[in-house]
Amino acid sequence: MLTTIVPLIGRRLIASIFILLVVSVLLFLVLHVLPVDPAAMSMPPTATIAEIEAHRREMGMDQPLWDQYAIWLVKLLQGDLGTSIHFKRSVWGLIADALPATIELAFLSMLIATVFGIGGGLLLFASRGSYAEPAIDLVTIVLLSIPEFLWALFFILIFGVALNVLPFTGRLDADLRLPEGSNFLLLNALFSGQFAIFWNALKHMVLPCFALGIAFSPAIMRVLRSSLIDVYQDDYIHLARLRGVTETRILLGHALKNAILPTLSLMGVQFGFLFGGTLLVEVIFSYPGLGSVMVDAVRNADLPIIQAVGLAYCVVVLVINTVVDTLYLVLNPKLRAQ
Amino acid sequence: MLRSVFRSSRVLIGLTIVGILVVCAIFAPLIAPHDPNEQNLVSILLPPAWSEGGDPSFLLGTDSLGRDVLSRLIFGARVAMTVAVLASLGAMIVGAVLAYIAGYFGGRIDALIGRAVDVWMSFPPVILSLILMVGLGVGLRNVIFAIVAVDWTRFCRVIRSEVLVVRRKDYIAAAQLMGFSHPRVIVKEIVPATLPLLITLLSMEMGIAVIVEAILSFVGMSVSANTPAWGQMVADARQTIYEAPWNLFLPIFAIFLAVLGFNILGDGLRRTLDVRLIARGRT
Amino acid sequence: MSILAVDNLEVSARIGTARIPVVSGLGFTLQRGSVLGVVGESGAGKSMIGRAIAQILPQGFSVTGGLSFLGQDLIGMPAEQRRMLLGRDIAFVPQEPLSGLNPVLTIGAQIDEHLARLGIGAKRARRDYALDMLNAVRLPRPADILGKYAHQLSGGMCQRVLIAMAFASRPKLLIADEPTTALDVTTQSRIVELIRDLQRSEGTSVIFITHDLRLAADISDQVLVLYAGRLAEYGPAKEIFADAAHPYTRCLQLSNPSVHASRIGLYSLPDRMPGISALGSIAGCLFGPRCPNVIDACREKTPRAVSVGEGHDVACIRSDLTARIDPPLRQAIDKKPYGASLLTVESVSKTFSMTSGIFRRTNFQAVRNINFTLQQNEFVGIVGESGSGKSTVARLLCGLETATEGKLVLAGRDVTGGDKVSRQHQRAHIQMVFQDPQSALNPRRSVASIITQAMEAAGQATWRDRLAKAEALLHEVGLPSDAALRFPSELSGGQKQRVNIARALCRAPEILVADEIVSGLDVSVQAQLLNLLLRLRSERSFSMVLISHDLAVVRYLCDRVFVMHKGEFVEAGPTADVFDHPQHPYTESLLAAVPRDFVADAARRDRRNGISPADEIV
Repeated sequence: MLTTIVPLIGRRLIASIFILLVVSVLLFLVLHVLPVDPAAMSMPPTATIAEIEAHRREMGMDQPLWDQYAIWLVKLLQGDLGTSIHFKRSVWGLIADALPATIELAFLSMLIATVFGIGGGLLLFASRGSYAEPAIDLVTIVLLSIPEFLWALFFILIFGVALNVLPFTGRLDADLRLPEGSNFLLLNALFSGQFAIFWNALKHMVLPCFALGIAFSPAIMRVLRSSLIDVYQDDYIHLARLRGVTETRILLGHALKNAILPTLSLMGVQFGFLFGGTLLVEVIFSYPGLGSVMVDAVRNADLPIIQAVGLAYCVVVLVINTVVDTLYLVLNPKLRAQ
Repeated sequence: MLRSVFRSSRVLIGLTIVGILVVCAIFAPLIAPHDPNEQNLVSILLPPAWSEGGDPSFLLGTDSLGRDVLSRLIFGARVAMTVAVLASLGAMIVGAVLAYIAGYFGGRIDALIGRAVDVWMSFPPVILSLILMVGLGVGLRNVIFAIVAVDWTRFCRVIRSEVLVVRRKDYIAAAQLMGFSHPRVIVKEIVPATLPLLITLLSMEMGIAVIVEAILSFVGMSVSANTPAWGQMVADARQTIYEAPWNLFLPIFAIFLAVLGFNILGDGLRRTLDVRLIARGRT
Repeated sequence: MSILAVDNLEVSARIGTARIPVVSGLGFTLQRGSVLGVVGESGAGKSMIGRAIAQILPQGFSVTGGLSFLGQDLIGMPAEQRRMLLGRDIAFVPQEPLSGLNPVLTIGAQIDEHLARLGIGAKRARRDYALDMLNAVRLPRPADILGKYAHQLSGGMCQRVLIAMAFASRPKLLIADEPTTALDVTTQSRIVELIRDLQRSEGTSVIFITHDLRLAADISDQVLVLYAGRLAEYGPAKEIFADAAHPYTRCLQLSNPSVHASRIGLYSLPDRMPGISALGSIAGCLFGPRCPNVIDACREKTPRAVSVGEGHDVACIRSDLTARIDPPLRQAIDKKPYGASLLTVESVSKTFSMTSGIFRRTNFQAVRNINFTLQQNEFVGIVGESGSGKSTVARLLCGLETATEGKLVLAGRDVTGGDKVSRQHQRAHIQMVFQDPQSALNPRRSVASIITQAMEAAGQATWRDRLAKAEALLHEVGLPSDAALRFPSELSGGQKQRVNIARALCRAPEILVADEIVSGLDVSVQAQLLNLLLRLRSERSFSMVLISHDLAVVRYLCDRVFVMHKGEFVEAGPTADVFDHPQHPYTESLLAAVPRDFVADAARRDRRNGISPADEIV
């Protein structure tokens, strides 16, 4: 199996590099061709035209576009993402601080979405044909209509403001200090034995993670349900029944392994969206991740940050897709053969 | 078919919700009791009229600048509905046309369009639309453009795989043998076959457009600040979450209601129009 | 000792508030080690027997009556007890072997699951047992097969795996539901042979469900003929085959073409078997409306099964007249002199290059260097198994594909290039009748709109003109003119195929290319269509290239035949010569796969019609 999967994954990675290259060009074009003047935007409104021109030169913006792109790309490959216009600080450093926080947030949310999605999908499927089915189905549509940031605000209103049981700002209480080391706070705290910090950080993540997880699970539920219904029409299910296989075994041993495939490819797409969803959730929970950095940069028209963070989002999405694709290959012998 | 569509309770509920919002949007100046931007600095953060301290002239209370929340909600529907309708139509046209070309002709053009979709899909939609808004600057037209530029892939992916299914049907080959040109085969044979899916997706996309617009206006990258928008109201109310939680609840509910309306409508359409689902129901 | 006793079995479906008996009044006993063939066309309720025995029915169906397996009441017993019997004492072999196996589990895992359930303890022992099983069904390299997935095996191999699993528990009863229908002819006969061998060596009783009376007679001890869920005839296989007592059985035989004789016309029963919803509206004998021997008494009450010989029952009050039903003579329906040469195919090859991604390509040669000519009024056949490239030939002829090598000359014009003008030329002269009427008719168009689509393409015709033309064409293909405004979903399979033919005739082409146009249709409907094509040729004059896997159909319609194998024509010649004296081993193997018993019967029929097989010259 390994010999067939590895080349396919390799091809997938090469394709990802190609995609990243195209993405970087597009990003660059959007931010440089469209009618916005970052030089003017990054100056106070009182600046004279001469001052703006000088600033433009300083930013390298007087050169032809392709040269600018080439310079940016070469620097990028050297690990230099430029300097923030607003914070006057290396963009690389900003991302290195923020990305781990976002990854932890997204990862836990995906876990929740998966558990809710698959569990809910099985429940939905089990309810088929019962009197409760239309009602349950309507509930999933209602759930489907609540995007993550509405869940976030809703949770803040209920658990934060009204009940005051869970924290809803930042990653840690103000009186706790961030531990030394990487910004993978949970891992870091866990491995260095600082359980109080671990616990506190986990509590801070409950609301944002559930907001994201719950928002992205209904789609998974519904796809799992309908793929299970499709799979149950297949001959091998009928034949397994004729062989005397129990219903539980048919569901878990035969049907689920097939129905999970379309569900998995949807989850790939959904997790990409979920990763984008962290942006607003982070802003709402004042969570110091990539999203907060991005929104600040947008407000400040901080071009180097916007470019680099945009690219960072793409890298993570491509990693998510590659992981999901690999899983898909592992679970689907048919695709492996091709 | 059309009759069964209008017999579906889901379609009717969805249409009712969407209808109310559209009426609010169109007749906002007539319905709204106040100018949405009129500030009453003496009566800020009033609670809804029926609760203690409420003022009957501000039915749903006022915000931190003393603006009438109900009027802002009604005017907010304008932005939401305009974006929902125009952006999703635009995304549908771009996505569907590319999907028909890719799915029908196959080969290199299909591979090319497929790669473009891959590139787009590697961006979380929220991030891409935000970046586009940075490039384009705020304004209603730009919001619509950004959503079209981001969400055409949703149509393209789904319609393309449906076109591939229809394309393999013998009646497509038969139409060619009868002398239909390629564009004619697409328009007369393939588009009608994918129309139910297209309509369903369109309805769902309207919900998505409402969400994206709300997100963009929440971070201040949608319409300009003096046009009321629901996302903006959420952002404003978040500042006074302890003093006036209802101010936060109302725009949240408005967004939810709009999305729910489009989703229920879409689900109802899917159930009544989807041939496969109908066939499944029969067996 | 009787393995299975069925008494007055009724399976009914709930439609709305009514309960309609889909199967009714069925009774038979199955002795240990004997084979019962259950024969009927689609919708006759034959699959319901197997489902009733397992008590696994679609929603809304219920079973009443007596169903006793080794003395135990299958209907009354608790579900769990019945489940224990399934796969252990009662085993099933399905119709679609490829989809009968779980696509994401290895063959080994699926066999292992079954063996574990049978209580074979150790994993090691199960593996050894599995290898023995696969050996017993003559699968090569069983150890490799255990690690494979269903999609890596052919249909025949999958069926062998499923047969191995069915026999693993040495069941008392095996129910095989059309186990060979989805397979190629050569595979079919081997699978039948395998089931028969295992049945004999294990002493298993078998219920063999099939639509093919010939096959049933070949393999079974007893045959049960079902019509609309009712027993038509039940008795010893050879006796039923040699001397059918029910008019339906007789008509089925007479409508089934033979590979070995083509001089007799096929009997075409009118109309088709009533569907579930129509059952209630027929008074008396359900076969009555289609029966050539029907009299008023038949419409008064449902006929009871009466004995006409030892263990031979028939549900017909006029069974003594059955033997007098005769097929039509062929001379009456087809004779048409050949005209000028219309089509020349010279060393045509087709290579597909599959694009995967923007730059990668793989090549596959589907058709290799084929040559033939076609004259006016000539019907030629191309036979071959699935994947032989015969459908690609059809598409090449119609211009749906362009040849990569060779030359295609049509009515004096080279149309190889596939440019716009040659395409137009091709479309005016050649039309295609597609295989699957379900896929060939746009469900969103009315019948009239489908049939006259060519007029729509040409532009000028008004709807009134189109409707008139459609009605004329419908009349020609034997459909009522009110079908014009209906939609394909309202038509039966046979009717759809008639519409399919009518559409191809709309531009009055000189050549029809017909790709498997009767596969998947019931024999009685197939006979109607084959006779229709012969009649149309005599009325209209056109040539046809018939693509088929069914040798008998080709023999019935075509004067010349090409045998196609792996993209090449391996044998060609007059149909009678090729089928009676095959030269190529592949043709031989195709012919050997057809049940032989029919030859004697055909000769008998021919004598009755006053023709001896020697007369057969086409």
